[in-house]
Amino acid sequence: MGEDRVEWIIFVVLGTWLILSALGTVFVKSPIHVILFFLSTLLAMAAIFLVLGAELLAGIQLIIYAVAIVVFYVLVITTIPWEKIKRFEGIYKSELMVASPILFILFLLMSYMVVKGEFAQPVGLVKDNVKDLGKELFTSYLFPFEVASVILLVAMIGAILLGRKEE
Amino acid sequence: MESLLYSLLFTLLKVLIVFLTALGVGAYLTWFERKLAGHIQNRLGPTVVGPFGLLQPIADAIKLATKETVIPRGADKPVYYMAIIMALVPSILLLAVIPWGPGFMVNGKYIEPIIADVNIALLLAFALGSLSVYGTIFSGWASNSKYAFIGSLRKAAVVIAYEVVLGFSVLGVILLAGTLSTVGIVEAQIQKGVWFIVYQPVAFILYLYCMLAESGRVPFDIQEAEAELVTGYNVEYGGMKFGAFPLAEWYVNVIALSAIAVVLFFGGWDGPKILGPLSPYFWFVAKTFALVFFTIWLHWTLPRFQAKDITEIAWKILLPIAILNVIITAVVVYIF
Repeated sequence: MGEDRVEWIIFVVLGTWLILSALGTVFVKSPIHVILFFLSTLLAMAAIFLVLGAELLAGIQLIIYAVAIVVFYVLVITTIPWEKIKRFEGIYKSELMVASPILFILFLLMSYMVVKGEFAQPVGLVKDNVKDLGKELFTSYLFPFEVASVILLVAMIGAILLGRKEE
Repeated sequence: MESLLYSLLFTLLKVLIVFLTALGVGAYLTWFERKLAGHIQNRLGPTVVGPFGLLQPIADAIKLATKETVIPRGADKPVYYMAIIMALVPSILLLAVIPWGPGFMVNGKYIEPIIADVNIALLLAFALGSLSVYGTIFSGWASNSKYAFIGSLRKAAVVIAYEVVLGFSVLGVILLAGTLSTVGIVEAQIQKGVWFIVYQPVAFILYLYCMLAESGRVPFDIQEAEAELVTGYNVEYGGMKFGAFPLAEWYVNVIALSAIAVVLFFGGWDGPKILGPLSPYFWFVAKTFALVFFTIWLHWTLPRFQAKDITEIAWKILLPIAILNVIITAVVVYIF
């Protein structure tokens, strides 16, 4: 039972790290600190993927999310002179009113799923994560995969169109 | 339980060995670089402290460690300190996926001279290599200084561009080896009896460009640009806090990326057995050092590109070449 317990301890440590950073992302005031907490959340998530044995997912989480995407956030956020911007201090009342019932229902739904549903069980010991995932992606899930790439392409063209200088 | 404890202790030992060696070698590379730069520029380099100036790194370390701590006014203190960690940690973690030699048996136990032999080693290496950009960006931002901030933004633009090229350039090697594991790639080369540089010379040249850009070496060192930015993002750091940045970026990062280049293109520990059981380690270190030497050599002989040229080279020239290389390799691998 030694290995199980060690795995459990590691999971608890990582989970605490993940939850604390997620809370930090929501509650910290300075936008730079928010993005740092967000980065920490992503790293914790990658670590949890590693513990669960999803190595490829962890690597992709690191390289796509933690690096490629967040670098752009950081680039934008760091260049804004925050001390000159007048910020709203207080609580967004109407937004809170609208959002809280939705959040409550979502929470109930999720709790129901966790309590009543079945967790995904590993089918068997996967030897090469990367190879299996690649095979699945390019045979069983080829169409959704291609659709996703087309959507990304559309988004890219849109971004270029928006960012283009008007002549 | 016992085997678990044993493997934990053993991993810790490996981590300690690699960590201390990397820091020691990193410190002594400063001596080597200054000596080499001196001879390239027809000077002598450090000569005063110890024979051939060999004790110079230790003197430097003592000097840096005993300096007064100065923090710029208006700096964001937590981020200011954390930036040092964010710069150092990824470059040191990079060393975890480097295989220093083949596995061997001791007392019936199989031992591999690599800290983490995971099957996503290459993905991890590139992710960590680009994670170090946060150290650069946040150090520049937290210093509350225009020079530092311009330097860090330049570095961010360079890393974004070259990370993409780097990913595509090594895809050819991955296609040939059929695995992402560093050990697997070396074994594939030994099995085929040919180093991948023979099949992938274009990829190697692209990799070299990216290596120089990621580690901020000449001709891509616009984030430092002494003449315009008074050394850029680390200008507001003093003492050992300053020392950590070049150590991470210029030395540990260069060692790690060179070692990965050796794994990808030069057959890792492959080589004639001239030193008996120690020869794999000798070959690995020798090849890595040759690449480090090449990097430093370029650093002290070339001028620097302009900021806009560097990103343009990456997006408009290197990336199309890299993609073409991948397509051709894939077709050739598929046919044969």
